[in-house]
Amino acid sequence: MATLELADVRKAFGTTDVIHDVSLDVADGELVVFVGPSGCGKSTLLRMIAGLETLSGGAIRIGGDPVDHLPPSDRGIAMVFQSYALYPHKDVRGNLGFALKHAGVDRAEIKRRVNAAAEILGLDELMNRRPRELSGGQRQRVAIGRAIVREPRVFLFDEPLSNLDAALRVHMRVEILKLHQRLANTMVYVTHDQVEAMTLADRIVVFRAGRVEQVGTPLELYRAPTNRFVAGFIGSPAMNFLDARAVAGTVRLGEAPLCATTLADGPVTLGLRPEHLMRRGKGEPAGDGEATLEGTVQVFEHLGGEAFVHVELADGRTLVAKLDGEQAFRPGEPVTLGLRRERCHVFDERGERETALH
Amino acid sequence: MIVRERLSATTIHVILLGWTALALFPLFVIVLNSWKSRKAIFGEPLGLPTGEAFSAKGYASVLSNSDFPLFFGNSLTVTGVSLALILLFGAMAAHALTEYRFRGNTLIGLYLILGIMVPIRLGTVALLNLIVDLGLANTLTALILVYTAQGLPVAIFIFSEFLRSVSHEIKDSARIDGLSEYRIFLEVVLPLVRPVIATVAVFSMIPIWNDLWFPLILSPGENTRTVTLGVQQFIGQYTVDWGAVLAALSVAILPVLVLYVIFSRQLIRGITAGAVKG
Repeated sequence: MATLELADVRKAFGTTDVIHDVSLDVADGELVVFVGPSGCGKSTLLRMIAGLETLSGGAIRIGGDPVDHLPPSDRGIAMVFQSYALYPHKDVRGNLGFALKHAGVDRAEIKRRVNAAAEILGLDELMNRRPRELSGGQRQRVAIGRAIVREPRVFLFDEPLSNLDAALRVHMRVEILKLHQRLANTMVYVTHDQVEAMTLADRIVVFRAGRVEQVGTPLELYRAPTNRFVAGFIGSPAMNFLDARAVAGTVRLGEAPLCATTLADGPVTLGLRPEHLMRRGKGEPAGDGEATLEGTVQVFEHLGGEAFVHVELADGRTLVAKLDGEQAFRPGEPVTLGLRRERCHVFDERGERETALH
Repeated sequence: MIVRERLSATTIHVILLGWTALALFPLFVIVLNSWKSRKAIFGEPLGLPTGEAFSAKGYASVLSNSDFPLFFGNSLTVTGVSLALILLFGAMAAHALTEYRFRGNTLIGLYLILGIMVPIRLGTVALLNLIVDLGLANTLTALILVYTAQGLPVAIFIFSEFLRSVSHEIKDSARIDGLSEYRIFLEVVLPLVRPVIATVAVFSMIPIWNDLWFPLILSPGENTRTVTLGVQQFIGQYTVDWGAVLAALSVAILPVLVLYVIFSRQLIRGITAGAVKG
């Protein structure tokens, strides 16, 4: 059973705490993604799981065994790095088999595992090449292969796709997904890219400044973010945040009520996802359960199938709406946006999302 | 525009070629004249060693009659061992200073690099006393110790800079694979900084090989002379066997030349790309 438990894990560099009491239970075979902005501590936490950093407090258990005092090579983990970290003076076969050879595994077994990994990752034709003769994607696959041959309990990925170009990243994302389906290992994946997080994860852990903001499935985080930070982090383009007021149980941008709320009167933040805004004809009555906003088109980014339209509202604030790309937009053109009331997210003064109604 | 650029390129080449000629000229004169008879050396210093001018007597007396091979061997030993120690300990020290966090890291680093600022010859008297007290006077060991101390600060400084640029991910990967820190140093880190090793080797060995100061002071004994000191024996009080002197010098150039060629090839071949993200 390759479960991973983090219990009140804490890390301090000198007198500064960088990881604050993180607790997490990862089930066997789960792919968990650590996501968050740069400097939030996700890579540090991963390195602590790997054994490359010591813990200042708390405990880490893999498969129920405490691993705090074990060196990295004894923890049953394997890690894939952002910069591949291949040995330059060995060819692909040498790189794949290096750790096993060093551990004294017998030759036949090394050959079996290396060939199996090569077959899974499509490396058969590259076995005799040196790293400098490989492309970025090929090098990354060798790095993954090196992890596979160790037959670890837990796979650790540290932003493995960040060095690849955009198209290759999309391709490799799918490869990793298929790999997880095939190997069914427990995997911890660190990234700052929320698209990778959403597409790969069984569950996502959102970090900020060394603390866990929220843990949940991608859909949970998308539909029910616990606070403004998570709401703004998940989803691209990011959620629109508008300063609004709660007045007598409704949220108002100007005078017209947009949606209901149980928060007391006072300043609140209204969250609207760009993809939940729809174009309505001018003067067209709002549908049932819908509210409308009037504005003018400032800029629009045309992507072919869809368009991101930046709309300036009457009071000067701007929204981004994700609209159908077939329509034409002109800067300065007036536009009416409709939104379903239940798609509104309401955040209180502290940034916590109101969960009651939605 | 293009005309101006071409002119500049030509000018640069002319200057560089001029400088090369200037630098190589003394060498050229030495090697040339080492193959000439004494009469021809003084008669026609710049003439070629052809016909009557040709004489291999200088080489004969150097290679067979003298202790020259012994001196040559001494130089080789001292330079070789010092170089090996400088490279090994310099790289290890630099690795420790850049890789590991420990108390006093900065202070030790500063102390070691301070050696660059202090010319070692200032301490000659103290060194001589130390060597004599240790009973190492007139031994090659004394020279080796002094040259190693002389070469370490610069070696550590340069190694530090380059070792810092080795990504920590490849070292972490080796740790996860179970390698000990020593093996990581020898098998993962060092191969990645081969050009630096070559660089440090090249300009550490030249001042050691050419040095006259310390062999004269610390090991002037018959058996422990180096080549630079040994050439002195051909310079008598009344006569100087110029043919032999020049032949000795010509031979003395060779090892440094060979080592340089070897290392500079390593320098170029050692640049590996692609191991870490290209």
